Amino acid sequence: MALHTTVEHADGRVPVVVLTLAGELDASSYEGVIATVRDIYANGGRHLVMDISELTFIASSGLVALHSSLRLMRGEDPPDPEYGWAAMRAVSNEVSDATPQTNIRLSGTQSAIQKVLDRTGLAALFPSYPDRAAAIAAF
Amino acid sequence: MLPEVQRLRIPADVARLAEMRSLIRGAAQDRGAPSDVVDDLVQAVDEAATNTIIHGYAGRPGWVEVTLALVGRDIKVTLEDAAPAFDPTTRPEPDMSVNALVRGPGGMGIHLMRLATDRLDYRARDGGGNVLTLTRSLDPRAEEDG
Repeated sequence: MALHTTVEHADGRVPVVVLTLAGELDASSYEGVIATVRDIYANGGRHLVMDISELTFIASSGLVALHSSLRLMRGEDPPDPEYGWAAMRAVSNEVSDATPQTNIRLSGTQSAIQKVLDRTGLAALFPSYPDRAAAIAAF
Repeated sequence: MLPEVQRLRIPADVARLAEMRSLIRGAAQDRGAPSDVVDDLVQAVDEAATNTIIHGYAGRPGWVEVTLALVGRDIKVTLEDAAPAFDPTTRPEPDMSVNALVRGPGGMGIHLMRLATDRLDYRARDGGGNVLTLTRSLDPRAEEDG
Protein backbone atom coordinates (compact mmCIF):
# COMPACT_ATOMS: atom_id res chain seq x y z
CA MET A 1 0.00 0.00 0.00
CA ALA A 2 1.33 3.39 -0.91
CA LEU A 3 1.69 6.22 1.57
CA HIS A 4 -0.81 9.07 1.33
CA THR A 5 0.07 12.38 2.93
CA THR A 6 -2.03 15.46 3.50
CA VAL A 7 -1.12 18.75 5.16
CA GLU A 8 -3.74 20.85 6.96
CA HIS A 9 -3.68 23.78 9.33
CA ALA A 10 -5.45 23.98 12.67
CA ASP A 11 -5.64 26.50 15.47
CA GLY A 12 -5.02 25.40 19.02
CA ARG A 13 -3.42 27.69 21.58
CA VAL A 14 -0.81 28.07 18.82
CA PRO A 15 -1.06 27.51 15.07
CA VAL A 16 -0.62 23.81 14.39
CA VAL A 17 0.17 21.98 11.16
CA VAL A 18 -1.43 18.55 10.86
CA LEU A 19 0.40 16.08 8.65
CA THR A 20 -1.64 12.94 8.00
CA LEU A 21 0.30 9.80 7.04
CA ALA A 22 -1.97 6.99 5.83
CA GLY A 23 -0.89 3.60 4.49
CA GLU A 24 2.62 2.22 4.81
CA LEU A 25 5.76 4.23 5.54
CA ASP A 26 8.74 2.37 4.12
CA ALA A 27 11.99 2.80 2.20
CA SER A 28 10.09 3.95 -0.88
CA SER A 29 8.28 6.79 0.90
CA TYR A 30 10.35 8.03 3.84
CA GLU A 31 12.29 10.66 1.88
CA GLY A 32 9.04 12.24 0.74
CA VAL A 33 7.96 12.64 4.36
CA ILE A 34 11.25 14.33 5.25
CA ALA A 35 10.84 16.70 2.28
CA THR A 36 7.27 17.51 3.35
CA VAL A 37 8.33 18.34 6.91
CA ARG A 38 11.23 20.42 5.60
CA ASP A 39 8.66 22.45 3.61
CA ILE A 40 6.36 22.78 6.62
CA TYR A 41 9.20 24.25 8.68
CA ALA A 42 10.37 26.47 5.83
CA ASN A 43 6.83 27.84 5.54
CA GLY A 44 6.80 28.83 9.20
CA GLY A 45 5.23 25.74 10.79
CA ARG A 46 6.57 25.32 14.33
CA HIS A 47 4.10 22.89 15.92
CA LEU A 48 3.37 19.65 14.10
CA VAL A 49 0.78 16.97 14.73
CA MET A 50 1.34 13.78 12.80
CA ASP A 51 -1.99 12.02 12.43
CA ILE A 52 -0.97 8.38 12.02
CA SER A 53 -4.32 6.80 12.85
CA GLU A 54 -4.37 5.21 9.38
CA LEU A 55 -0.69 4.31 9.28
CA THR A 56 -0.54 0.51 9.28
CA PHE A 57 3.18 -0.14 8.87
CA ILE A 58 6.42 1.66 9.67
CA ALA A 59 9.85 0.39 8.60
CA SER A 60 13.12 1.51 10.15
CA SER A 61 13.41 3.94 7.23
CA GLY A 62 10.11 5.40 8.43
CA LEU A 63 11.70 5.87 11.84
CA VAL A 64 14.47 7.78 10.08
CA ALA A 65 11.75 10.04 8.67
CA LEU A 66 10.20 10.59 12.12
CA HIS A 67 13.56 11.26 13.71
CA SER A 68 14.61 13.61 10.90
CA SER A 69 11.28 15.42 11.25
CA LEU A 70 11.97 15.98 14.92
CA ARG A 71 15.34 17.50 14.09
CA LEU A 72 13.90 19.65 11.31
CA MET A 73 11.15 20.98 13.58
CA ARG A 74 13.88 21.98 16.06
CA GLY A 75 15.49 24.00 13.29
CA GLU A 76 18.34 21.49 12.98
CA ASP A 77 19.51 19.66 9.93
CA PRO A 78 18.80 15.94 10.22
CA PRO A 79 21.84 13.69 10.17
CA ASP A 80 22.51 11.61 7.10
CA PRO A 81 20.50 8.41 7.57
CA GLU A 82 23.66 6.50 6.70
CA TYR A 83 25.56 8.22 9.48
CA GLY A 84 24.98 5.26 11.77
CA TRP A 85 24.59 4.81 15.48
CA ALA A 86 28.28 4.44 16.21
CA ALA A 87 29.07 7.90 14.89
CA MET A 88 26.04 9.32 16.66
CA ARG A 89 27.28 7.86 19.89
CA ALA A 90 30.47 9.85 19.53
CA VAL A 91 28.54 13.11 19.75
CA SER A 92 26.13 11.95 22.43
CA ASN A 93 28.03 13.82 25.11
CA GLU A 94 26.91 17.06 23.57
CA VAL A 95 23.31 16.41 24.50
CA SER A 96 22.12 16.33 28.07
CA ASP A 97 20.08 13.39 29.27
CA ALA A 98 17.17 15.69 30.06
CA THR A 99 14.07 15.13 27.98
CA PRO A 100 14.60 17.30 24.92
CA GLN A 101 12.11 19.92 23.85
CA THR A 102 10.16 18.55 20.94
CA ASN A 103 7.35 20.00 18.87
CA ILE A 104 5.85 16.96 17.21
CA ARG A 105 2.85 15.16 18.68
CA LEU A 106 1.47 11.90 17.34
CA SER A 107 -2.22 11.22 17.02
CA GLY A 108 -3.99 7.86 16.87
CA THR A 109 -0.94 5.57 16.99
CA GLN A 110 -1.94 1.96 16.23
CA SER A 111 -0.56 -0.82 18.41
CA ALA A 112 1.70 -2.25 15.68
CA ILE A 113 3.32 1.18 15.22
CA GLN A 114 3.57 1.78 18.96
CA LYS A 115 5.43 -1.52 19.34
CA VAL A 116 8.08 -0.37 16.84
CA LEU A 117 8.46 2.99 18.60
CA ASP A 118 8.81 1.20 21.94
CA ARG A 119 11.35 -1.29 20.64
CA THR A 120 13.60 1.45 19.28
CA GLY A 121 13.35 3.87 22.18
CA LEU A 122 11.77 6.50 19.96
CA ALA A 123 8.47 6.45 21.87
CA ALA A 124 10.06 8.69 24.51
CA LEU A 125 10.60 11.41 21.90
CA PHE A 126 7.09 11.37 20.45
CA PRO A 127 4.25 12.14 22.86
CA SER A 128 1.20 10.30 21.58
CA TYR A 129 -2.46 11.22 21.92
CA PRO A 130 -5.61 9.23 21.16
CA ASP A 131 -6.96 11.64 18.57
CA ARG A 132 -6.19 14.75 16.61
CA ALA A 133 -8.06 17.15 18.88
CA ALA A 134 -6.16 15.96 21.93
CA ALA A 135 -2.83 16.20 20.10
CA ILE A 136 -3.58 19.76 18.94
CA ALA A 137 -4.72 20.77 22.42
CA ALA A 138 -1.46 19.41 23.86
CA PHE A 139 0.55 22.33 22.45
CA MET B 1 -5.61 -26.57 0.42
CA LEU B 2 -2.86 -24.09 1.15
CA PRO B 3 0.30 -24.47 -0.86
CA GLU B 4 3.08 -25.91 1.30
CA VAL B 5 5.39 -23.06 0.42
CA GLN B 6 4.49 -19.51 -0.61
CA ARG B 7 7.07 -17.87 -2.84
CA LEU B 8 7.64 -14.44 -4.40
CA ARG B 9 10.57 -12.92 -6.26
CA ILE B 10 10.76 -9.16 -6.69
CA PRO B 11 13.31 -7.00 -8.49
CA ALA B 12 15.69 -5.04 -6.26
CA ASP B 13 13.47 -1.96 -6.09
CA VAL B 14 12.10 -0.47 -2.86
CA ALA B 15 8.89 0.35 -4.71
CA ARG B 16 8.21 -3.42 -4.82
CA LEU B 17 8.52 -4.01 -1.05
CA ALA B 18 4.78 -3.53 -0.55
CA GLU B 19 4.10 -6.65 -2.64
CA MET B 20 6.44 -8.66 -0.47
CA ARG B 21 4.82 -7.41 2.74
CA SER B 22 1.40 -8.22 1.35
CA LEU B 23 2.40 -11.78 0.49
CA ILE B 24 3.94 -12.36 3.93
CA ARG B 25 0.92 -10.88 5.70
CA GLY B 26 -1.54 -13.07 3.78
CA ALA B 27 0.53 -16.24 3.93
CA ALA B 28 1.17 -15.91 7.68
CA GLN B 29 -2.51 -15.21 8.38
CA ASP B 30 -3.53 -18.21 6.27
CA ARG B 31 -1.31 -20.38 8.45
CA GLY B 32 -2.96 -19.26 11.65
CA ALA B 33 -0.48 -16.65 12.86
CA PRO B 34 -1.96 -14.21 15.40
CA SER B 35 -1.82 -10.53 14.49
CA ASP B 36 1.27 -9.70 16.57
CA VAL B 37 3.18 -12.53 14.90
CA VAL B 38 1.99 -11.39 11.46
CA ASP B 39 3.10 -7.81 12.18
CA ASP B 40 6.50 -8.96 13.40
CA LEU B 41 7.11 -11.20 10.38
CA VAL B 42 6.14 -8.41 7.99
CA GLN B 43 8.52 -6.06 9.82
CA ALA B 44 11.44 -8.50 9.83
CA VAL B 45 11.04 -9.40 6.15
CA ASP B 46 10.75 -5.76 5.12
CA GLU B 47 13.89 -4.81 7.06
CA ALA B 48 15.87 -7.72 5.60
CA ALA B 49 14.75 -7.08 2.02
CA THR B 50 15.33 -3.33 2.35
CA ASN B 51 18.89 -3.94 3.58
CA THR B 52 19.55 -6.18 0.60
CA ILE B 53 18.16 -3.69 -1.91
CA ILE B 54 19.72 -0.53 -0.47
CA HIS B 55 23.02 -1.78 0.93
CA GLY B 56 23.51 -5.08 -0.92
CA TYR B 57 22.63 -4.22 -4.49
CA ALA B 58 23.14 -0.49 -3.82
CA GLY B 59 21.45 0.66 -7.01
CA ARG B 60 22.55 -2.24 -9.19
CA PRO B 61 19.87 -4.47 -10.69
CA GLY B 62 19.08 -7.63 -8.78
CA TRP B 63 16.33 -9.66 -7.14
CA VAL B 64 15.14 -10.82 -3.75
CA GLU B 65 13.16 -14.01 -3.34
CA VAL B 66 11.13 -14.81 -0.28
CA THR B 67 9.58 -18.13 0.68
CA LEU B 68 7.30 -18.79 3.63
CA ALA B 69 6.42 -22.18 5.09
CA LEU B 70 4.93 -23.57 8.28
CA VAL B 71 7.24 -26.13 9.90
CA GLY B 72 5.59 -27.63 12.96
CA ARG B 73 4.57 -24.60 15.04
CA ASP B 74 7.16 -22.32 13.41
CA ILE B 75 6.77 -20.00 10.48
CA LYS B 76 10.01 -19.98 8.53
CA VAL B 77 10.69 -17.24 6.03
CA THR B 78 13.74 -17.49 3.81
CA LEU B 79 15.14 -14.53 1.91
CA GLU B 80 17.54 -15.26 -0.89
CA ASP B 81 19.49 -12.81 -3.05
CA ALA B 82 22.54 -12.54 -5.27
CA ALA B 83 23.96 -9.43 -3.61
CA PRO B 84 27.46 -9.22 -2.08
CA ALA B 85 27.81 -11.33 1.05
CA PHE B 86 26.41 -9.71 4.19
CA ASP B 87 25.64 -11.49 7.43
CA PRO B 88 23.24 -9.42 9.56
CA THR B 89 23.45 -11.90 12.44
CA THR B 90 26.98 -10.74 13.26
CA ARG B 91 26.20 -7.02 13.44
CA PRO B 92 26.62 -5.39 16.85
CA GLU B 93 23.53 -4.28 18.77
CA PRO B 94 22.90 -0.54 18.87
CA ASP B 95 23.61 1.07 22.22
CA MET B 96 20.10 1.72 23.50
CA SER B 97 21.40 3.68 26.49
CA VAL B 98 22.28 6.61 24.25
CA ASN B 99 19.72 9.43 24.09
CA ALA B 100 17.37 8.46 21.25
CA LEU B 101 17.41 11.94 19.75
CA VAL B 102 21.15 11.68 19.22
CA ARG B 103 21.39 7.98 18.55
CA GLY B 104 18.86 8.18 15.81
CA PRO B 105 17.38 5.18 14.09
CA GLY B 106 20.56 4.14 12.29
CA GLY B 107 21.10 0.41 12.67
CA MET B 108 17.53 -0.06 13.87
CA GLY B 109 16.56 -2.34 11.00
CA ILE B 110 18.62 -5.27 12.22
CA HIS B 111 17.66 -4.51 15.82
CA LEU B 112 13.98 -4.74 14.82
CA MET B 113 14.61 -7.95 12.86
CA ARG B 114 16.09 -9.56 15.94
CA LEU B 115 13.26 -8.49 18.23
CA ALA B 116 10.59 -9.56 15.75
CA THR B 117 11.92 -13.08 15.28
CA ASP B 118 12.82 -16.03 17.50
CA ARG B 119 15.94 -16.80 15.48
CA LEU B 120 17.91 -15.65 12.46
CA ASP B 121 20.09 -18.05 10.48
CA TYR B 122 22.48 -16.92 7.81
CA ARG B 123 24.44 -18.77 5.18
CA ALA B 124 26.23 -17.77 2.02
CA ARG B 125 24.33 -18.80 -1.10
CA ASP B 126 25.90 -21.31 -3.46
CA GLY B 127 27.11 -19.37 -6.46
CA GLY B 128 27.11 -16.03 -4.63
CA GLY B 129 24.60 -14.12 -2.57
CA ASN B 130 22.90 -14.64 0.75
CA VAL B 131 20.32 -16.89 2.37
CA LEU B 132 18.72 -15.57 5.53
CA THR B 133 16.10 -17.58 7.40
CA LEU B 134 13.77 -15.93 9.90
CA THR B 135 11.93 -18.15 12.35
CA ARG B 136 8.96 -17.16 14.48
CA SER B 137 6.73 -19.45 16.50
CA LEU B 138 2.95 -19.22 16.22
CA ASP B 139 2.74 -19.58 19.97
CA PRO B 140 2.41 -16.53 22.22
CA ARG B 141 5.56 -15.04 23.67
CA ALA B 142 6.13 -14.15 27.28
CA GLU B 143 5.25 -10.50 27.86
CA GLU B 144 7.76 -8.22 26.18
CA ASP B 145 9.72 -5.90 28.44
CA GLY B 146 8.97 -2.18 28.11
